[in-house]
Amino acid sequence: MISSDVIRGYNDTIILYFLLQKDSYGYEISKNIREITNEQYIIKETTLYSAFSRLEKNGYITSYYKTSAQGKRRTYYKISPEGYAYYIEKCEEWELTKSVINKFIRREG
Amino acid sequence: METIRNYLETMFQGLPETEEIRRLKEELLANMEDKYQELKDQGNTENEAIGKVISEFGNIDELLKEMNIPFAQEDMLADDAMLTRADAEEYLANAEISGRLIGVGVALIMFGVSLLIFLSALFEEYNIMRWIPENVRDAVPILAFFVFLVPAVGIFVYSGMRMKRYELIEKGQFTISVLTQNDIYQEYQESREGQRIYIVIGVILCVLSPVAIFAGSIFGDSGSSYGVCVTILIVAAAVYLFITSGIPAEAYKKLLKMEEYSDVQRKKNKVVGAVASVVWPLATAAFLIAGFVFNKWGSAWIIFPITGILFGAFAAVCSAFTGENS
Repeated sequence: MISSDVIRGYNDTIILYFLLQKDSYGYEISKNIREITNEQYIIKETTLYSAFSRLEKNGYITSYYKTSAQGKRRTYYKISPEGYAYYIEKCEEWELTKSVINKFIRREG
Repeated sequence: METIRNYLETMFQGLPETEEIRRLKEELLANMEDKYQELKDQGNTENEAIGKVISEFGNIDELLKEMNIPFAQEDMLADDAMLTRADAEEYLANAEISGRLIGVGVALIMFGVSLLIFLSALFEEYNIMRWIPENVRDAVPILAFFVFLVPAVGIFVYSGMRMKRYELIEKGQFTISVLTQNDIYQEYQESREGQRIYIVIGVILCVLSPVAIFAGSIFGDSGSSYGVCVTILIVAAAVYLFITSGIPAEAYKKLLKMEEYSDVQRKKNKVVGAVASVVWPLATAAFLIAGFVFNKWGSAWIIFPITGILFGAFAAVCSAFTGENS
Protein backbone atom coordinates (compact mmCIF):
# COMPACT_ATOMS: atom_id res chain seq x y z
CA MET A 1 0.00 0.00 0.00
CA ILE A 2 1.22 3.45 -0.91
CA SER A 3 2.16 5.89 1.82
CA SER A 4 -0.18 8.85 2.17
CA ASP A 5 2.80 11.20 2.51
CA VAL A 6 3.95 10.61 -1.06
CA ILE A 7 0.52 11.10 -2.53
CA ARG A 8 -0.55 14.08 -0.40
CA GLY A 9 -0.26 16.74 -3.10
CA TYR A 10 -2.44 14.74 -5.47
CA ASN A 11 -5.48 13.79 -3.41
CA ASP A 12 -7.30 16.81 -4.83
CA THR A 13 -6.44 15.71 -8.37
CA ILE A 14 -7.73 12.21 -7.71
CA ILE A 15 -11.03 13.52 -6.36
CA LEU A 16 -11.48 15.96 -9.25
CA TYR A 17 -10.86 13.11 -11.69
CA PHE A 18 -13.95 11.32 -10.39
CA LEU A 19 -16.06 14.48 -10.22
CA LEU A 20 -15.24 15.16 -13.88
CA GLN A 21 -17.14 12.00 -14.77
CA LYS A 22 -20.18 12.66 -12.58
CA ASP A 23 -21.25 14.28 -9.33
CA SER A 24 -20.42 12.02 -6.43
CA TYR A 25 -20.28 11.71 -2.64
CA GLY A 26 -17.64 10.71 -0.09
CA TYR A 27 -18.06 6.97 0.15
CA GLU A 28 -18.48 6.47 -3.59
CA ILE A 29 -15.23 8.29 -4.28
CA SER A 30 -13.25 6.46 -1.62
CA LYS A 31 -14.61 3.16 -2.93
CA ASN A 32 -13.70 4.05 -6.51
CA ILE A 33 -10.15 4.98 -5.48
CA ARG A 34 -9.79 1.67 -3.75
CA GLU A 35 -11.09 -0.28 -6.74
CA ILE A 36 -9.15 1.52 -9.46
CA THR A 37 -5.85 1.19 -7.56
CA ASN A 38 -6.51 -2.46 -6.67
CA GLU A 39 -6.41 -1.46 -2.98
CA GLN A 40 -2.91 -0.04 -3.35
CA TYR A 41 -4.18 3.33 -2.23
CA ILE A 42 -6.88 3.58 0.39
CA ILE A 43 -7.78 7.15 1.23
CA LYS A 44 -8.45 7.86 4.89
CA GLU A 45 -11.82 9.30 5.83
CA THR A 46 -10.29 12.45 7.31
CA THR A 47 -7.97 12.96 4.31
CA LEU A 48 -10.93 12.76 1.97
CA TYR A 49 -12.97 15.30 3.89
CA SER A 50 -9.98 17.61 4.35
CA ALA A 51 -9.67 17.63 0.57
CA PHE A 52 -13.41 18.32 0.09
CA SER A 53 -13.17 21.20 2.52
CA ARG A 54 -10.09 22.65 0.81
CA LEU A 55 -11.52 22.24 -2.70
CA GLU A 56 -14.80 23.84 -1.70
CA LYS A 57 -13.05 26.77 -0.03
CA ASN A 58 -11.05 27.39 -3.20
CA GLY A 59 -14.20 27.27 -5.31
CA TYR A 60 -13.12 24.16 -7.23
CA ILE A 61 -16.17 22.18 -6.18
CA THR A 62 -19.65 22.95 -4.88
CA SER A 63 -21.84 20.76 -2.71
CA TYR A 64 -25.53 20.01 -2.49
CA TYR A 65 -27.74 17.54 -0.62
CA LYS A 66 -29.30 14.61 -2.38
CA THR A 67 -31.02 11.51 -1.06
CA SER A 68 -29.28 8.40 -2.36
CA ALA A 69 -30.99 5.27 -3.65
CA GLN A 70 -30.68 3.70 -0.16
CA GLY A 71 -32.60 6.63 1.27
CA LYS A 72 -29.63 8.23 3.01
CA ARG A 73 -29.14 11.96 2.69
CA ARG A 74 -25.72 12.62 1.17
CA THR A 75 -23.60 15.62 0.40
CA TYR A 76 -22.87 15.42 -3.32
CA TYR A 77 -20.00 17.34 -4.84
CA LYS A 78 -19.91 18.98 -8.25
CA ILE A 79 -16.81 20.24 -10.06
CA SER A 80 -16.76 23.90 -11.12
CA PRO A 81 -15.05 25.41 -14.23
CA GLU A 82 -12.29 26.65 -11.89
CA GLY A 83 -11.97 23.11 -10.60
CA TYR A 84 -11.57 21.80 -14.12
CA ALA A 85 -8.84 24.36 -14.85
CA TYR A 86 -7.10 23.41 -11.61
CA TYR A 87 -7.30 19.72 -12.54
CA ILE A 88 -5.66 20.36 -15.95
CA GLU A 89 -2.97 22.40 -14.22
CA LYS A 90 -2.29 19.59 -11.75
CA CYS A 91 -2.09 17.04 -14.59
CA GLU A 92 0.59 19.14 -16.28
CA GLU A 93 2.40 19.58 -12.98
CA TRP A 94 2.42 15.81 -12.52
CA GLU A 95 3.86 15.17 -15.98
CA LEU A 96 6.64 17.60 -15.14
CA THR A 97 7.19 16.13 -11.68
CA LYS A 98 7.29 12.65 -13.14
CA SER A 99 9.89 13.55 -15.77
CA VAL A 100 12.03 15.36 -13.20
CA ILE A 101 11.94 12.60 -10.60
CA ASN A 102 12.48 9.97 -13.28
CA LYS A 103 15.90 11.43 -13.92
CA PHE A 104 16.89 10.27 -10.45
CA ILE A 105 15.42 6.80 -10.59
CA ARG A 106 17.82 3.94 -11.30
CA ARG A 107 16.26 1.58 -13.78
CA GLU A 108 18.84 -1.18 -13.86
CA GLY A 109 18.91 -3.41 -10.76
CA MET B 1 -22.68 -0.15 14.25
CA GLU B 2 -22.96 1.24 17.76
CA THR B 3 -19.19 0.97 18.11
CA ILE B 4 -18.64 3.11 15.03
CA ARG B 5 -21.08 5.70 16.30
CA ASN B 6 -19.36 5.76 19.70
CA TYR B 7 -15.97 6.06 18.03
CA LEU B 8 -17.08 9.08 16.04
CA GLU B 9 -18.68 10.66 19.10
CA THR B 10 -15.40 10.19 20.93
CA MET B 11 -13.43 11.75 18.09
CA PHE B 12 -15.67 14.80 18.09
CA GLN B 13 -15.93 15.07 21.84
CA GLY B 14 -15.40 18.52 23.24
CA LEU B 15 -15.98 20.27 19.93
CA PRO B 16 -18.73 22.86 19.75
CA GLU B 17 -21.98 21.50 18.29
CA THR B 18 -22.15 23.79 15.29
CA GLU B 19 -24.16 23.06 12.17
CA GLU B 20 -20.91 22.52 10.25
CA ILE B 21 -19.66 19.88 12.68
CA ARG B 22 -23.02 18.19 12.93
CA ARG B 23 -23.13 17.87 9.15
CA LEU B 24 -19.58 16.59 8.94
CA LYS B 25 -20.22 14.01 11.62
CA GLU B 26 -23.39 12.81 9.92
CA GLU B 27 -21.54 12.52 6.62
CA LEU B 28 -18.61 10.61 8.11
CA LEU B 29 -20.98 8.28 9.92
CA ALA B 30 -22.91 7.52 6.73
CA ASN B 31 -19.64 6.72 4.91
CA MET B 32 -18.34 4.55 7.68
CA GLU B 33 -21.60 2.67 7.94
CA ASP B 34 -21.59 2.00 4.21
CA LYS B 35 -18.03 0.77 4.38
CA TYR B 36 -18.88 -1.41 7.36
CA GLN B 37 -21.92 -2.90 5.60
CA GLU B 38 -19.91 -3.66 2.51
CA LEU B 39 -17.11 -5.32 4.48
CA LYS B 40 -19.67 -7.48 6.25
CA ASP B 41 -21.31 -8.41 2.96
CA GLN B 42 -17.89 -9.54 1.76
CA GLY B 43 -17.81 -12.03 4.61
CA ASN B 44 -15.75 -10.14 7.21
CA THR B 45 -16.69 -10.66 10.84
CA GLU B 46 -18.18 -7.82 12.83
CA ASN B 47 -14.85 -7.16 14.57
CA GLU B 48 -12.83 -7.25 11.37
CA ALA B 49 -15.23 -4.84 9.70
CA ILE B 50 -15.21 -2.40 12.63
CA GLY B 51 -11.43 -2.66 12.95
CA LYS B 52 -10.96 -1.88 9.28
CA VAL B 53 -13.40 1.02 9.25
CA ILE B 54 -11.70 2.57 12.27
CA SER B 55 -8.18 2.00 10.95
CA GLU B 56 -9.15 3.79 7.74
CA PHE B 57 -10.64 6.73 9.57
CA GLY B 58 -7.41 8.71 9.69
CA ASN B 59 -6.43 11.60 11.88
CA ILE B 60 -9.13 13.96 13.06
CA ASP B 61 -6.65 16.79 13.73
CA GLU B 62 -5.82 16.90 10.02
CA LEU B 63 -9.46 17.47 9.18
CA LEU B 64 -10.12 20.02 11.91
CA LYS B 65 -7.08 22.03 10.85
CA GLU B 66 -8.26 22.10 7.25
CA MET B 67 -11.72 23.20 8.30
CA ASN B 68 -10.36 25.85 10.66
CA ILE B 69 -12.08 24.33 13.64
CA PRO B 70 -10.08 25.14 16.77
CA PHE B 71 -8.95 21.96 18.48
CA ALA B 72 -8.78 23.65 21.81
CA GLN B 73 -11.85 22.30 23.46
CA GLU B 74 -14.04 25.21 24.38
CA ASP B 75 -15.86 23.58 27.22
CA MET B 76 -12.56 22.64 28.83
CA LEU B 77 -12.63 23.61 32.46
CA ALA B 78 -9.70 25.58 33.71
CA ASP B 79 -8.98 23.22 36.58
CA ASP B 80 -9.11 20.09 34.45
CA ALA B 81 -5.75 18.41 34.04
CA MET B 82 -4.54 17.87 30.49
CA LEU B 83 -3.53 14.26 30.01
CA THR B 84 -0.64 13.43 27.74
CA ARG B 85 -0.28 10.19 25.84
CA ALA B 86 2.35 9.03 28.36
CA ASP B 87 0.02 9.78 31.30
CA ALA B 88 -2.72 7.76 29.70
CA GLU B 89 -0.41 4.82 28.99
CA GLU B 90 0.90 4.89 32.54
CA TYR B 91 -2.62 4.93 33.92
CA LEU B 92 -3.62 1.98 31.73
CA ALA B 93 -0.55 -0.02 32.74
CA ASN B 94 -1.29 0.63 36.41
CA ALA B 95 -4.94 -0.24 35.96
CA GLU B 96 -3.87 -3.59 34.60
CA ILE B 97 -1.63 -4.23 37.60
CA SER B 98 -4.38 -3.05 39.94
CA GLY B 99 -6.79 -5.44 38.17
CA ARG B 100 -4.47 -8.36 38.84
CA LEU B 101 -3.96 -7.31 42.47
CA ILE B 102 -7.67 -7.01 43.16
CA GLY B 103 -8.29 -10.25 41.27
CA VAL B 104 -5.74 -12.04 43.47
CA GLY B 105 -7.24 -10.44 46.60
CA VAL B 106 -10.77 -11.56 45.81
CA ALA B 107 -9.54 -15.02 44.81
CA LEU B 108 -7.66 -15.25 48.14
CA ILE B 109 -10.82 -14.46 50.09
CA MET B 110 -12.81 -17.02 48.17
CA PHE B 111 -10.02 -19.53 48.64
CA GLY B 112 -10.19 -18.76 52.38
CA VAL B 113 -13.95 -19.36 52.46
CA SER B 114 -13.47 -22.61 50.59
CA LEU B 115 -10.77 -23.72 53.03
CA LEU B 116 -13.00 -22.76 55.96
CA ILE B 117 -15.82 -24.96 54.71
CA PHE B 118 -13.39 -27.73 53.84
CA LEU B 119 -11.75 -27.79 57.28
CA SER B 120 -15.10 -27.57 59.10
CA ALA B 121 -16.43 -30.51 57.11
CA LEU B 122 -13.20 -32.45 57.61
CA PHE B 123 -13.18 -31.98 61.39
CA GLU B 124 -16.84 -32.91 61.62
CA GLU B 125 -16.38 -36.07 59.58
CA TYR B 126 -13.18 -37.51 60.99
CA ASN B 127 -12.93 -35.90 64.37
CA ILE B 128 -9.19 -35.53 63.89
CA MET B 129 -6.72 -33.62 66.03
CA ARG B 130 -8.35 -34.78 69.24
CA TRP B 131 -5.33 -33.73 71.26
CA ILE B 132 -6.40 -30.11 70.78
CA PRO B 133 -9.15 -28.82 73.10
CA GLU B 134 -12.48 -28.68 71.29
CA ASN B 135 -13.03 -24.94 71.52
CA VAL B 136 -9.58 -24.28 70.04
CA ARG B 137 -10.25 -26.82 67.33
CA ASP B 138 -13.46 -25.04 66.36
CA ALA B 139 -11.43 -21.90 65.80
CA VAL B 140 -8.91 -23.51 63.43
CA PRO B 141 -11.02 -23.20 60.23
CA ILE B 142 -11.83 -19.59 61.10
CA LEU B 143 -8.17 -18.86 61.70
CA ALA B 144 -7.35 -20.44 58.34
CA PHE B 145 -9.92 -18.13 56.77
CA PHE B 146 -8.30 -15.08 58.35
CA VAL B 147 -4.88 -16.18 57.13
CA PHE B 148 -6.25 -15.55 53.63
CA LEU B 149 -8.49 -12.62 54.47
CA VAL B 150 -5.77 -10.45 56.05
CA PRO B 151 -3.34 -10.42 53.09
CA ALA B 152 -6.31 -9.88 50.76
CA VAL B 153 -7.35 -6.76 52.66
CA GLY B 154 -3.71 -5.66 52.58
CA ILE B 155 -3.68 -6.09 48.81
CA PHE B 156 -6.89 -4.03 48.46
CA VAL B 157 -5.47 -1.20 50.53
CA TYR B 158 -2.17 -1.30 48.60
CA SER B 159 -3.96 -1.30 45.25
CA GLY B 160 -6.17 1.56 46.35
CA MET B 161 -3.10 3.57 47.35
CA ARG B 162 -1.43 2.86 43.99
CA MET B 163 -4.46 4.19 42.11
CA LYS B 164 -4.88 7.14 44.44
CA ARG B 165 -2.69 9.38 42.28
CA TYR B 166 -5.04 8.79 39.35
CA GLU B 167 -7.97 10.17 41.29
CA LEU B 168 -8.61 12.90 38.72
CA ILE B 169 -8.89 10.34 35.94
CA GLU B 170 -11.14 8.12 38.00
CA LYS B 171 -13.39 11.10 38.66
CA GLY B 172 -13.34 12.16 35.02
CA GLN B 173 -11.75 15.53 35.78
CA PHE B 174 -9.36 15.69 32.84
CA THR B 175 -9.15 16.52 29.18
CA ILE B 176 -7.30 14.65 26.52
CA SER B 177 -6.29 15.58 23.00
CA VAL B 178 -8.37 14.23 20.17
CA LEU B 179 -5.31 12.54 18.71
CA THR B 180 -4.49 10.66 21.90
CA GLN B 181 -8.11 9.73 22.26
CA ASN B 182 -8.04 8.28 18.76
CA ASP B 183 -5.01 6.10 19.61
CA ILE B 184 -6.48 4.96 22.90
CA TYR B 185 -9.74 4.10 21.22
CA GLN B 186 -7.93 1.85 18.77
CA GLU B 187 -6.02 0.16 21.58
CA TYR B 188 -9.29 -0.33 23.43
CA GLN B 189 -10.85 -2.01 20.41
CA GLU B 190 -7.85 -4.31 20.07
CA SER B 191 -7.91 -5.25 23.75
CA ARG B 192 -11.58 -6.16 23.68
CA GLU B 193 -11.04 -9.39 21.78
CA GLY B 194 -8.95 -10.86 24.60
CA GLN B 195 -11.33 -9.58 27.25
CA ARG B 196 -14.23 -11.26 25.56
CA ILE B 197 -12.44 -14.60 25.61
CA TYR B 198 -11.74 -14.26 29.36
CA ILE B 199 -15.35 -13.40 30.07
CA VAL B 200 -16.63 -16.31 28.03
CA ILE B 201 -14.28 -18.69 29.88
CA GLY B 202 -15.40 -17.15 33.20
CA VAL B 203 -19.08 -17.58 32.39
CA ILE B 204 -18.53 -21.19 31.34
CA LEU B 205 -16.70 -21.87 34.62
CA CYS B 206 -19.55 -20.29 36.61
CA VAL B 207 -22.18 -22.31 34.79
CA LEU B 208 -20.27 -25.55 35.28
CA SER B 209 -19.22 -24.90 38.88
CA PRO B 210 -22.38 -26.31 40.61
CA VAL B 211 -21.61 -29.67 39.02
CA ALA B 212 -19.05 -30.16 41.80
CA ILE B 213 -21.84 -29.88 44.43
CA PHE B 214 -23.98 -32.44 42.66
CA ALA B 215 -21.02 -34.74 42.18
CA GLY B 216 -20.09 -34.37 45.85
CA SER B 217 -23.63 -35.02 47.08
CA ILE B 218 -23.42 -38.54 45.65
CA PHE B 219 -21.01 -39.24 48.50
CA GLY B 220 -23.37 -38.00 51.20
CA ASP B 221 -23.58 -34.84 53.29
CA SER B 222 -19.89 -34.26 53.82
CA GLY B 223 -19.36 -34.98 50.13
CA SER B 224 -21.58 -32.09 49.19
CA SER B 225 -19.65 -29.85 51.62
CA TYR B 226 -16.44 -30.72 49.76
CA GLY B 227 -18.35 -30.12 46.53
CA VAL B 228 -19.18 -26.61 47.73
CA CYS B 229 -15.45 -26.04 48.34
CA VAL B 230 -14.61 -27.05 44.78
CA THR B 231 -17.46 -24.93 43.40
CA ILE B 232 -16.15 -21.88 45.25
CA LEU B 233 -12.64 -22.51 43.90
CA ILE B 234 -13.97 -22.70 40.34
CA VAL B 235 -16.01 -19.53 40.85
CA ALA B 236 -12.89 -17.90 42.33
CA ALA B 237 -11.01 -18.64 39.10
CA ALA B 238 -13.92 -17.18 37.10
CA VAL B 239 -14.07 -14.08 39.29
CA TYR B 240 -10.32 -13.61 38.82
CA LEU B 241 -10.84 -13.64 35.05
CA PHE B 242 -13.75 -11.18 35.30
CA ILE B 243 -11.79 -8.75 37.45
CA THR B 244 -8.50 -8.89 35.54
CA SER B 245 -10.30 -8.31 32.25
CA GLY B 246 -12.88 -5.91 33.64
CA ILE B 247 -10.68 -3.38 35.43
CA PRO B 248 -8.43 -2.54 32.44
CA ALA B 249 -11.57 -2.27 30.28
CA GLU B 250 -13.07 0.15 32.80
CA ALA B 251 -9.84 2.15 32.69
CA TYR B 252 -10.16 2.53 28.92
CA LYS B 253 -13.76 3.61 29.28
CA LYS B 254 -12.81 6.16 31.94
CA LEU B 255 -10.14 7.63 29.69
CA LEU B 256 -12.52 7.79 26.75
CA LYS B 257 -15.42 8.93 28.97
CA MET B 258 -17.55 6.27 27.39
CA GLU B 259 -20.88 4.81 28.46
CA GLU B 260 -21.22 5.01 32.23
CA TYR B 261 -18.23 7.36 32.44
CA SER B 262 -19.70 10.06 30.23
CA ASP B 263 -20.24 13.28 32.16
CA VAL B 264 -24.02 12.89 32.13
CA GLN B 265 -24.04 9.27 33.16
CA ARG B 266 -21.57 9.86 35.99
CA LYS B 267 -24.08 11.87 37.97
CA LYS B 268 -26.66 9.11 37.67
CA ASN B 269 -24.23 6.42 38.72
CA LYS B 270 -23.80 8.00 42.09
CA VAL B 271 -27.04 6.34 43.25
CA VAL B 272 -25.84 2.84 42.42
CA GLY B 273 -22.46 3.60 43.94
CA ALA B 274 -24.01 4.88 47.14
CA VAL B 275 -26.20 1.80 47.49
CA ALA B 276 -23.23 -0.47 46.79
CA SER B 277 -21.18 1.15 49.52
CA VAL B 278 -23.92 0.26 52.02
CA VAL B 279 -25.04 -3.13 50.73
CA TRP B 280 -21.69 -4.90 50.42
CA PRO B 281 -20.33 -4.06 53.87
CA LEU B 282 -23.74 -5.10 55.28
CA ALA B 283 -23.50 -8.43 53.46
CA THR B 284 -20.01 -8.97 54.80
CA ALA B 285 -21.15 -8.10 58.32
CA ALA B 286 -24.08 -10.51 58.01
CA PHE B 287 -21.67 -13.21 56.83
CA LEU B 288 -19.36 -12.69 59.79
CA ILE B 289 -22.24 -12.55 62.31
CA ALA B 290 -23.80 -15.70 60.88
CA GLY B 291 -20.42 -17.35 61.27
CA PHE B 292 -19.24 -16.12 64.63
CA VAL B 293 -22.54 -15.79 66.49
CA PHE B 294 -24.56 -18.61 64.99
CA ASN B 295 -21.64 -20.76 63.86
CA LYS B 296 -23.11 -21.19 60.39
CA TRP B 297 -19.84 -20.94 58.46
CA GLY B 298 -20.90 -23.78 56.23
CA SER B 299 -23.97 -22.06 54.80
CA ALA B 300 -23.39 -18.35 55.42
CA TRP B 301 -21.45 -17.91 52.15
CA ILE B 302 -24.80 -18.06 50.34
CA ILE B 303 -25.23 -14.40 51.40
CA PHE B 304 -22.71 -13.29 48.77
CA PRO B 305 -24.23 -14.81 45.64
CA ILE B 306 -27.71 -13.69 46.79
CA THR B 307 -26.50 -10.13 47.41
CA GLY B 308 -24.73 -10.22 44.07
CA ILE B 309 -27.87 -11.22 42.18
CA LEU B 310 -30.13 -8.75 44.04
CA PHE B 311 -27.63 -5.93 43.63
CA GLY B 312 -27.20 -6.73 39.95
CA ALA B 313 -30.97 -6.58 39.52
CA PHE B 314 -31.12 -3.27 41.38
CA ALA B 315 -28.35 -1.77 39.22
CA ALA B 316 -30.11 -2.99 36.08
CA VAL B 317 -33.42 -1.43 37.15
CA CYS B 318 -31.60 1.82 37.95
CA SER B 319 -29.92 2.00 34.57
CA ALA B 320 -33.21 1.14 32.84
CA PHE B 321 -34.87 4.10 34.57
CA THR B 322 -32.03 6.53 33.91
CA GLY B 323 -31.99 5.29 30.31
CA GLU B 324 -35.63 6.34 29.94
CA ASN B 325 -34.94 9.75 31.39
CA SER B 326 -32.05 10.59 29.12
